[in-house]
Amino acid sequence: MVLEPRTEGGSEHRDRKVWLESCAKHYGSVVALAEVELAVEDGEFLTLLGPSGSGKTTLLNLIAGMVQPTSGRIWIDGADITRVPPSKRGIGMVFQNYALMPHMTVFENIAFPLRVRKMAEAEIRRKVGEVLDIVRLPDVGKRKPSELSGGQQQRIAIARCIVYNPSIILMDEPLGALDKKLREELQLELKQLHTQLGITVLYVTHDQEEALTMSDRIVLLNHGKIEQMGPPDELYFQPRTLFAAEFLGDSNIFDGTVAGLGEFVSVYSEPGASMMARPAPIAEIGKAVKVLVRPENLTLLRQCEESGLANRLSAEMVDSIILGGVIKCYVRLSDDTTVVVQELTKAERAPPPPGSKVSVAWSAEDTLILPAVGGMTEGGGTAAA
Amino acid sequence: MAQNVRESSVGGRPGAPLAAAVSAWVIYLFLIMPSLVVIPMSFGDKDEFMFPPESLSFYLYGQYFFESTWMATTLQSFEVAILTTFLSLLFGVTAAYGVVRGNFPGKRFVTLFLLSPILVPVIVVALGLYLYFSTLGLSGTTFGLVLGHTVHATPFVIVIAMAGLRHVDPNLEAAARLMGASHVLTLRKVTLPLLKPTLIAGSLFAFLISFDEVVIAYFVSNTTTETLPVKMYSAIQWEISPVLAAISTLLIVLSLVICVSGTALQKDDEKGE
Ligand SMILES: Nc1ncnc2c1ncn2[C@@H]1O[C@H](COP(=O)(O)OP(=O)(O)OP(=O)(O)O)[C@@H](O)[C@H]1O
Ligand SMILES: [Mg+2]
Repeated sequence: MVLEPRTEGGSEHRDRKVWLESCAKHYGSVVALAEVELAVEDGEFLTLLGPSGSGKTTLLNLIAGMVQPTSGRIWIDGADITRVPPSKRGIGMVFQNYALMPHMTVFENIAFPLRVRKMAEAEIRRKVGEVLDIVRLPDVGKRKPSELSGGQQQRIAIARCIVYNPSIILMDEPLGALDKKLREELQLELKQLHTQLGITVLYVTHDQEEALTMSDRIVLLNHGKIEQMGPPDELYFQPRTLFAAEFLGDSNIFDGTVAGLGEFVSVYSEPGASMMARPAPIAEIGKAVKVLVRPENLTLLRQCEESGLANRLSAEMVDSIILGGVIKCYVRLSDDTTVVVQELTKAERAPPPPGSKVSVAWSAEDTLILPAVGGMTEGGGTAAA
Repeated sequence: MAQNVRESSVGGRPGAPLAAAVSAWVIYLFLIMPSLVVIPMSFGDKDEFMFPPESLSFYLYGQYFFESTWMATTLQSFEVAILTTFLSLLFGVTAAYGVVRGNFPGKRFVTLFLLSPILVPVIVVALGLYLYFSTLGLSGTTFGLVLGHTVHATPFVIVIAMAGLRHVDPNLEAAARLMGASHVLTLRKVTLPLLKPTLIAGSLFAFLISFDEVVIAYFVSNTTTETLPVKMYSAIQWEISPVLAAISTLLIVLSLVICVSGTALQKDDEKGE
């Protein structure tokens, strides 16, 4: 690649909160982050989502200045900060293990960034009191971090971060060490805090549900590359790759070959049926593709029932599980693939018994075609494809 | 059933563990006896070694404290040991910080190199220092002695400091840096306070190493700068004064106090966390 001079494309990104300009990070022969281009908007809640080892922490540490990029530049508020030390970047960070100073009281912990900034003692007292109120722990100032619960410690870590108004707050799996209930509670609080204070948040998680509930935008990483980015609903409803489809939400995936183009794409599929799918740029006649349908878009039909839906496959009932409000039914197609159907639980409509003949049906709008390569299970490693 | 049989045959000689314990104690006492025998001897009242002493007195202690040049030598030993402690802590902790936190090619090789004085026999180090210091004119000076002991003690401090640093979460330092603290401030407010137990252990260790060291000191010092162990060694050769018993007893007490206080300080710190 040729080093380009500053282009118009660049100046356009200068007014972004953060801009990673073709940043890459290699550790010897390991590509932790392939060349990545990423712009973060002011006030945005952006989530980096991806499996373990996909480069989420690396990306965050690049912005924090804890690691230097192998190539590329990093801009914050229009200034090139690639060579600026972490202490001069004005960034806040919340760590998974809280990283509270064990030898300081909670008060001293929160006062630390203010003392570094040589703020007057009275001002420090006022500010620390303020943020302790915001995180709803007004009375713990005199305690040591070890005398607090995990959730409380993380609240203090957040307080320590917001107390000095950093321009961006980075969070690396901040709720990863907490149990499910506390995690959900803090997710809500964090989201509220974000709206209330209007801060820019870069959030790392490998929990897709957390990403879907909290983010304005999700960046899906895989093997150090950005697989797809966009608002949560776009990632969920319009995944562009097999990996994205499998990583976010449950999915049923069939192999197929494009058979016809038109208002809808028709795909000839393995289970011996033709399916109608939403049009997509990748569709070319004769091309091998994958067909995706979300379980909640499938309808389970008794043998003779009519539905008026474009796609229909006959199957045999295997099992069903009630998960409170929804029920998951597993059915087997003629070629032995298992399909999951998720329906709302209704008292008057019990699932058919195992072994009975059923059909699954769904609409063409809910059917996506995806490139046949690049799933979660195949093509591991960062080898240049 | 078969299992039961086998078990009982293994534990078939109930006396075995007891015999092992007894023999261990006997060997231990045999080994420690020579060190302890100086204690009763130090309370003798004659100008010759006597065991057991005929009557108990503080005569030898009086000799040590008031009627000889032993006190001056002891102060010299303290001076050398304290200076050595400072220097080896300074070099050892910074070196350990570099190899534990740093990320540079050849890190393992550098670590090995830093620890290499441990692998070289002390007598070789002493001889090397003697020849080297003679050409520099440092031979026989207190400064030379301190440098020699620092070479000897620093690798041990490095080992202790490396272990201590591995227990300090690097995220704490990263957090401090991100909050705006400079490298120096982070070191002062975060790393060093968290390293306190390590620093205490390291300095006690360095102090004892220097205070106790005889080979390097023997080569590098002269009669005006000699340390306590060197003077004791010479005394054994020329005069065999029973004051040595009193000094040895005091050294045992000193070591004991240092070890016990070190352990106590560490315990306190664990409780504080
Ligand atoms: N200091 C390092 N030296 C060598 N390789 C590294 C280093 N740090 C990270 N890597 C590699 O870079 C890749 C990305 O790591 P990274 O920590 O960014 O992943 P992650 O997405 O944060 O994963 P996780 O969810 O497990 O935290 C991994 O393959 C990892 O092994
Ligand atoms: Mg990580």
